[in-house]
Amino acid sequence: MSNYIVLVKQVPDVSQITDNAFNPETGTLVRSRLQNVINELDAQALAFVHRMKQLSGDEEGQVVCLTMGPPMADEVLRYGLSRCADAAVLLTDRALGGADTVATANPLAYAVRKIEKELFGGKKDYFIVAGMQSVDGDTAQVPPQMAEELGIGCIAYLTDASYEDGRFTFKRIISGGSQVVASRNQPVVLTVAKYEYPLFASLAGTRRARQMQVLQWGAADIQATQVGSKGSKTQVTRVFPPGKTNRKCQQLHNPRELARALVQSYQGGGSAAAAGQGPRDYVLPGRRAHNFERTFEGLEKDNESFGILAERMRAVGIEDLYEMTDELRAQVVTSLKGQFSEKALDEMFEGMRKFEPAFKGEVWVVAEHCEGRITPATFELLGKASELARSLEVKVGVALVGSQVQPLAQELIHAGADRVYLTEHPLLAEHDPLACRKALAALIEEFLPQIVLYSATPQGRVLAPLVSYRLGCGLTADCTSLDVRDSTRKSLVGILLQTRPALGGNVMATISTVNSRSQMATARPGVMKRNPDDPKRTGEVIRREVELAAEELCMDVLATEIAHGEVNFEAKVIVGGGRGLQNRDNYEVLLNSLRNALGKKLGTEVEKGASRSAVERGFTERIRQVGQTGTAVGPKLYLALGISGAIQHMIGVANTETIVAINVDPNAPIFKMCDYYLIGNVEEIVPKLVEELEAE
Amino acid sequence: MLDNLHSIDRAGRTQVLIVGAGPAGLSCAIALKKERPEAEVVVLDKAPGLGNHNLSGAVLEPASVHRLLDSALPGWRETDQAKEVLARTVQKDDVLFLPGASGAIQLQPLIKLAGLLGLGPGQMDHKGDYIVSISRLTRWLGQIAEDLGVEVHTGFAVDSLVPGEGNSVAAGVRLVDRGLDKEGEKQPNFAPGETIWADLVVLAEGCDGLATERFVQQAGLKREAVQLYSIGVKEVVAVSEEQYRQFGDDRVVHALGYPIWTPVLGPGMFGGGLMYACGDNKIAVGMIVGLDWQENDFNPQDALVHFKNHPYVRRFIEGGKVVEAGAKMIPEGGLRAVPRDPQTGTFGKGNVLLVGDAAGFVNMLKIKGLHNALDSGRLAGEAIAGSMAEPEQAARKYTSALEESGVVSEMGRARNYRQTIARFGNLLGLPLSVLSEVLPRFEVEPDYQAMRPRHYRFKGNREFDKDTFTAMAQTEHREDQPSHLQIVDPGICLEKCLKTFKAPCITFCPAGVYEEIQGVVKPANASNCLHCKTCQRKCPFDNIRWVVPEGGGGPRYKQS
Repeated sequence: MSNYIVLVKQVPDVSQITDNAFNPETGTLVRSRLQNVINELDAQALAFVHRMKQLSGDEEGQVVCLTMGPPMADEVLRYGLSRCADAAVLLTDRALGGADTVATANPLAYAVRKIEKELFGGKKDYFIVAGMQSVDGDTAQVPPQMAEELGIGCIAYLTDASYEDGRFTFKRIISGGSQVVASRNQPVVLTVAKYEYPLFASLAGTRRARQMQVLQWGAADIQATQVGSKGSKTQVTRVFPPGKTNRKCQQLHNPRELARALVQSYQGGGSAAAAGQGPRDYVLPGRRAHNFERTFEGLEKDNESFGILAERMRAVGIEDLYEMTDELRAQVVTSLKGQFSEKALDEMFEGMRKFEPAFKGEVWVVAEHCEGRITPATFELLGKASELARSLEVKVGVALVGSQVQPLAQELIHAGADRVYLTEHPLLAEHDPLACRKALAALIEEFLPQIVLYSATPQGRVLAPLVSYRLGCGLTADCTSLDVRDSTRKSLVGILLQTRPALGGNVMATISTVNSRSQMATARPGVMKRNPDDPKRTGEVIRREVELAAEELCMDVLATEIAHGEVNFEAKVIVGGGRGLQNRDNYEVLLNSLRNALGKKLGTEVEKGASRSAVERGFTERIRQVGQTGTAVGPKLYLALGISGAIQHMIGVANTETIVAINVDPNAPIFKMCDYYLIGNVEEIVPKLVEELEAE
Repeated sequence: MLDNLHSIDRAGRTQVLIVGAGPAGLSCAIALKKERPEAEVVVLDKAPGLGNHNLSGAVLEPASVHRLLDSALPGWRETDQAKEVLARTVQKDDVLFLPGASGAIQLQPLIKLAGLLGLGPGQMDHKGDYIVSISRLTRWLGQIAEDLGVEVHTGFAVDSLVPGEGNSVAAGVRLVDRGLDKEGEKQPNFAPGETIWADLVVLAEGCDGLATERFVQQAGLKREAVQLYSIGVKEVVAVSEEQYRQFGDDRVVHALGYPIWTPVLGPGMFGGGLMYACGDNKIAVGMIVGLDWQENDFNPQDALVHFKNHPYVRRFIEGGKVVEAGAKMIPEGGLRAVPRDPQTGTFGKGNVLLVGDAAGFVNMLKIKGLHNALDSGRLAGEAIAGSMAEPEQAARKYTSALEESGVVSEMGRARNYRQTIARFGNLLGLPLSVLSEVLPRFEVEPDYQAMRPRHYRFKGNREFDKDTFTAMAQTEHREDQPSHLQIVDPGICLEKCLKTFKAPCITFCPAGVYEEIQGVVKPANASNCLHCKTCQRKCPFDNIRWVVPEGGGGPRYKQS
């Protein structure tokens, strides 16, 4: 028998965005105008727990739903109670508001301790189960951070469970494949990435749930140590609407138009410039034309203000900040009267005296590797890290942690690393998150880099929160843009601004790290650009040892399936198939015929890809999976057949020049993220399209 | 934790179960709970949320609301919701005749005259009525009901009634199975439809209710004349402040004629266009068309487009943005089409009552039914309050109350109106209908038999953009469930319908559910369905069956 704690979160329903949900002035989505629902993955987590109970024939195990939020979050607990939860805990208190992921994970972990003590009678044989991430935050950080606070393991990205000989095994997604694992200990945190069978509420259950008591705990009840905005390690500096897609989103009406568009797109240029082209490179204040020039601010408004101020300073004859006398300063202040408050000017002058960057140390990348190869995402991060380090005038370091991975160091140096920090241990072979986080945290603690970048991959998104929480550092998830900027008015120089999409991509948020020794972020694969390899580059390899015992691991890896085979995703044209193809036969027949026809017509190699759903349904092999958890591709032409356009898939094709989509669902999200689309049934359209391609 | 595990047995039963949380069902619940605060009353609705499946014009006769709320909720007039939901009353009431693609003739003087002479069409006067969003009204009534202690549960679809034993006609209801995949196989989360036991069941499902129709058959209720339907398609358009000001915040427009009826050349459909002020610079435009149209390539949305482009309408909405759209059927057959127990004449039977549109209490002379929904619901609630001890007497008490109230007599005056037009067509029928009260009763054919291989005269050359229309209804179903639209005999589509009529369902379905795929007519996009059920009443071979999908699907109307 096991008990279960299911973490549920109330989120705005981003699938039902109404016309009045946007602030007309700022263009940002106003969260309070959306309906609240349970986070879909948390609903799946609850169903997953129900499944685990079923599999183990466990009728005794208690299921407790836990949430933190305002009093109205009671509704998501009722969701749980009306399905399979036996009890529910609402953590609600003004003192808990304004929290980032650290200040969320911490009180939740303390609540778990209280549940263990008061509801489970101190018994430790329980699972903490949560959706992998929430649709509003999209960080995936809270569950691993809770695990770190509780000192227990975290097994993430689960898709299925089975039960044999008194033990659960879990199937989970890993970068480039899947894995079957078992937990070594209980309690353990499990996160569910996909379990498609959310429970239905029974009417009787719903009626009962309305009568049930929800336990309400405040901050004083749990005695958490890091709460509210004070306990947070990151803060949002700016929220803004996402840039308009530069995809054309043009609807085509028949296979003939489609054939023409395909040929023209391939021959002509595409519409999409690769994302991640940041603004101008940062220069430290002391290196600028005037040492009072402060126009590398995080906020555009501040850039303008400092521009005006600098102009005035030059106008009164100041060339160097250190030459500014009180008299000259007074002149400047007088001439700006009415434009800036005295307090603002004081802050600005005060900040201008700061030249030292707020953080010290190198810029690091955490290397991810699989089967003896460094992942492409790591090289992308190295490209970004080189740029940041150049601006900050520091070295680029790479943390390389694993078993027998030393041969990979050289490659990293060629790609931009000045130093490779290496820790090897046989128990690091399986990338056990607890083992990796111990080795990595030790390196960071010793060398104190100012920036640590991880790939936002299944591995990185678990490891980063474990390490950052352990070291008391802030962490921003899944960044699409990273820039060094000043916040002169707060007397901060050279801080890392971490920009990421939130609320299902409906808003962008820029985040900075506070109260931390290092600034940490995971970055989305496929967004940053790698450096060209330079085989002449040299660097240092610094080796450190780590003590690890088998008891410190959190899981046994029973089987790993990494996609193998001959797939050439470097091909100029890729045809991707999705769930809309219905079955394996369609995938094979339709994609092959189109591949041949396109190949002949365009005179180039055409490769077949697939969405995650198509792979899950067995239409093709895992190796063909394109997307965040598969391979990120960047062909000249990507043709998506029956692919709805889940964000995870679209991230993987972001670097494509031209994206063309065919889907029967007129509301398919892909239509808003492609260049050309045709609404219709793939089974009907592809044969006609092949005819057109062959006819022309 | 243990105190959370009580009352397991009680959750599967209730004293009164109301199927459908619309104006009728909720009025019933409110009136009942007012008189019997201790009664356990459960209201179920298949919509994802309160008001999501309610769409109507709508004008509402104030007396019906007042009768309900004056006793149930003293001081209701001062509530914020009342001020919001009932903010507008009709001050300007235009009835127009549109002779063609331009030009409009005011008929209001004629209506007034008919009113003075006591003739039927005189009832088509709406001055002083509330202009409401039925979706908002429903949300409000739902809240009132819940505040009184009624349990309102949305997202639960009722499949059918469970027959009772002895005197009891029904013992409860059975809910729809959930968690089946497209092929009907059980998924891991399969949840069989529960049975909810109840002493009394009220059917308030709205027009062409599935459980209602099944009950009518099984309990042997009879209609004197077949039910006739019409379909309303409607868009809520956000217009400029200037346009709205010109239109007026207290105005409704009803228009006869073009594009569904022109006197000599045809077409000769029953119905008309409408424009209602909705507040907040929004105007609802709609088109209501009797389902007995003959043209096989007709789609009510085509008519709506023509209506919107008529200069009289266009100037108020040009450049506006459609913010919500939807479609719904209206039962138009009047009193003669309301099913009754042949022995006792009751509206319902024993412990099962029929209220609102589920019964068919729409008055086509007034082109209104909402007041009757509220009144019949309220009377049902009161009748139940008086028969808790002897539930099998409820239908009888309810029927006498209806007969004593205005509902039946009002419906009685209109009883022949729609049939007269169905029988004689607009040209002759409309003038005759003035006398319909004294004319003999006509037999009419069901709507689906009206179809002819005939071309709609104003067929445009562009397809109506149903995708956008459907998107504005925010309709959604769990994709992986069996299609809730079933074609009885695919052979008929292939051999008869495609040949004779080119499968009109493909054209008339407002959500574009039906498609011809490789020569086979399929409900290919069942998840776009708006729950209007026109297909099962208009398929020329009566070859489509609408079954209830999993609860929680369908449109999400919020301001319709």
